[in-house]
Amino acid sequence: MKTFLKAAFLGTSLCAVMASGVLAQNATFVLGSREVGAPSYNPIKATRLNAANTFIYDRMVIQDADQSFHGQLATSWESAPDGMSWTFKLRPNVRFHDGEPFNAQTIVWWVPKFKGTENAFMTDAIDKVEVIDDLTVKFVMKNPDPNMLFNMASTFMGIPSPKAFDSLGDRYGIAGAVGTGPFKLESFTVGQQTVLTRNDAYNSASALSVNKGPAKIKQLTIREIPEDSTAFLELRTGGVDMLMSVPTDFLPRLSTERGTKVVTLPGTEVYYMPMNTSIEPFTDIKVREAVAFAVNQKEILENLFGGVGAIANTFLISGLAESKVDPKLAIAYDPARSRRVLDEAGWVMGSDGLRAKGGTKLQVKLWTQNGTEFKRVTEVVQAQLKAVGIGADITVFDAATITAQYRKRTEHQLAVRVYSWANADILDWFHSGKRLGHPNHAMWNDPKSEELNEKAMKGSRTWDERVVNFRAYHEHLLANFVFAPIYQPVQNFAYSESRIVMPASIRGTRLQGQTIVDIDVRK
Amino acid sequence: MDKDSALMRLLRTPRGAISAVVLGVIVIAAVLAPVIAPYGYAIQNLRLANMEPSAAHWLGTDEFGRDLLSRIIHGARTSLAVGVTSITISMVCGMALGAAAGYFGGAFDRAVTVVVDLSWSFPEILLALILIAILGPGLASTMIAISVAYLAQFTRLTRAQVMALKSETYIEATIAMGAGSGHVLFRHLLPNAITPVIVAGMLATGDAIILEATLGFFGLGAQPPTPSWGAMMSSGTAQIFIAPWIIIFPGLAIAITVIAINLFGDALIDALDIRKRLREN
Repeated sequence: MKTFLKAAFLGTSLCAVMASGVLAQNATFVLGSREVGAPSYNPIKATRLNAANTFIYDRMVIQDADQSFHGQLATSWESAPDGMSWTFKLRPNVRFHDGEPFNAQTIVWWVPKFKGTENAFMTDAIDKVEVIDDLTVKFVMKNPDPNMLFNMASTFMGIPSPKAFDSLGDRYGIAGAVGTGPFKLESFTVGQQTVLTRNDAYNSASALSVNKGPAKIKQLTIREIPEDSTAFLELRTGGVDMLMSVPTDFLPRLSTERGTKVVTLPGTEVYYMPMNTSIEPFTDIKVREAVAFAVNQKEILENLFGGVGAIANTFLISGLAESKVDPKLAIAYDPARSRRVLDEAGWVMGSDGLRAKGGTKLQVKLWTQNGTEFKRVTEVVQAQLKAVGIGADITVFDAATITAQYRKRTEHQLAVRVYSWANADILDWFHSGKRLGHPNHAMWNDPKSEELNEKAMKGSRTWDERVVNFRAYHEHLLANFVFAPIYQPVQNFAYSESRIVMPASIRGTRLQGQTIVDIDVRK
Repeated sequence: MDKDSALMRLLRTPRGAISAVVLGVIVIAAVLAPVIAPYGYAIQNLRLANMEPSAAHWLGTDEFGRDLLSRIIHGARTSLAVGVTSITISMVCGMALGAAAGYFGGAFDRAVTVVVDLSWSFPEILLALILIAILGPGLASTMIAISVAYLAQFTRLTRAQVMALKSETYIEATIAMGAGSGHVLFRHLLPNAITPVIVAGMLATGDAIILEATLGFFGLGAQPPTPSWGAMMSSGTAQIFIAPWIIIFPGLAIAITVIAINLFGDALIDALDIRKRLREN
């Protein structure tokens, strides 16, 4: 025990000493524990990006919390009445960090780069990009895409410098990352830290920022700390200035901390538990149904998260119209139904509290990731499954290993996961038959589902039509119990009041590039 | 050597008696855990999460509302089982290797010595971490990892003992009278070499319990909900400000157990010390 305490105190005091040496105008932020380990800053090819990506890159448009869109690298846009073309006017006089100009040619180069990547679905509907003039481009569509602006506002739509991207090849995003954003990438060590320096030529802030010029912070260090309580200790001892995501269960403690301020934004996350539908016992829909209804969302919300946030009864955040499904299909805790369907499926309760069928025990693998919140939710889910007679063995992985394991396709059964996304196309991302293993952890590949997916993704001309189609796809997934929904958190971040001056209002869906230019450091 | 009298000598010293009593209590608690623990170790009651020590929960509850006392009692099983099993495996294998190397000498001895010296140069925790990375987390792999980590110690000790004893005249006489290698090893060398190995094993058990706790702290030992003292401390770090008892009590359990084992080991050294006995006489 001595060694642990020694190490812990040594670590904290070391960081405090380091922090005291930090100069004014420099700041250290900590990424949320769930963003730890994002392997690159290559927005075209990455499947995971952390929040710092939006500090390096600008996007064509960005989205405000009220779902409205605002221009960033595009100043205005319009779509043809039939949805078969979109015209964007681009911001003039914008240059990449490497001095290359941003113009219509950049977009002509950029859009086709998505072909063959995991992110291709966001640009799939674009047939080709035509140059109208140096600062005007026209997207000629293969089919209407009512989700165009949302896609253009995604973090994956940060626009990189063509020259840097092509010259670095596969190393792009790790060895270097060049955008037009408020910060330049100085150095990046995966899983540890990213050092950013101010882009003094920054001139492409959107309407969501008050400051239209370069950022106020000169050098920004983004640290990755997988353990929330360690990050909290760092903030408390002055080792860091801001935690970009704070688990909800820390709120009571943070509110009593002097000098620390907590800000809460509406959430875009959902905790859920996919079930690998391709292997026993989850090939049986009844077992999946039983698992889905064994999860007591309310107990988790009230006791683990102190009632902050909301329960999840579907796959989507409740702010989305596509989450308003037929109430009969919503998945809400019903242990009696769980037990009944397990009985029907022939799983008989044994004296040890576990069900069995034909000599096989109902014992499954339950995976989770490092991080206090993950492990806690997982342990509660384990106990809730046990209550209906399902045994679950927990294995804790780090973020990189778990993805490699999912890609093997047959290793996993249940996993507690969380995603952050504010659009119904996340249903396609996690359930399309084209992405089995990862990110389709449920290994869900069913003809009817693929048909509904195709219709929702490509067959909608207007936003309303898209809502109807995605709702139908969502309902089909719910009816097949390919996952168990758990919890919808809010976003919290905390900062040291003696070090950081926050803008009066924080706009946008998350704490991203548009706010970072407004944040100041006390001198 | 008369075992009973050695044990009696051990119990007559205060530290021997106290450590024996403490260890006895811990072993009984571990063996009878399901009977004496006031609650089940896996029973969650989220409404009672992070409760401070009270009449209902003597040591308080953890972040899932589980009774901490019950988890510590059950955790003793994990700690002792891992500590004792892995050191026993390590001792048996180490003695076999060390005795063979010391007795037969030659190329086999050189090979064993090289491997042992090599593994001796790594810290035990590093060896254990490497092995668990290969085997995957869990109780069985923790035991294997700890036994391999401590193997070098017992191999070296036995080898040294056997080599020293081999040149004694009574061994030479036995060999001259035509005794086979098996007879010499098992009837004469090992019984005489075993005493220091047992003492070293006793002391290593304390270290092994700490190593198990360390691996558990990293989430590599027993997987939830099976309680292990190290893993309990690990989850307690997240609650250190609101429920410090979650980290304090398992820490105390580790400290008390390891101190008791070490004191008992020390007392055992004295009790088994032949020279001291001669002096006393």
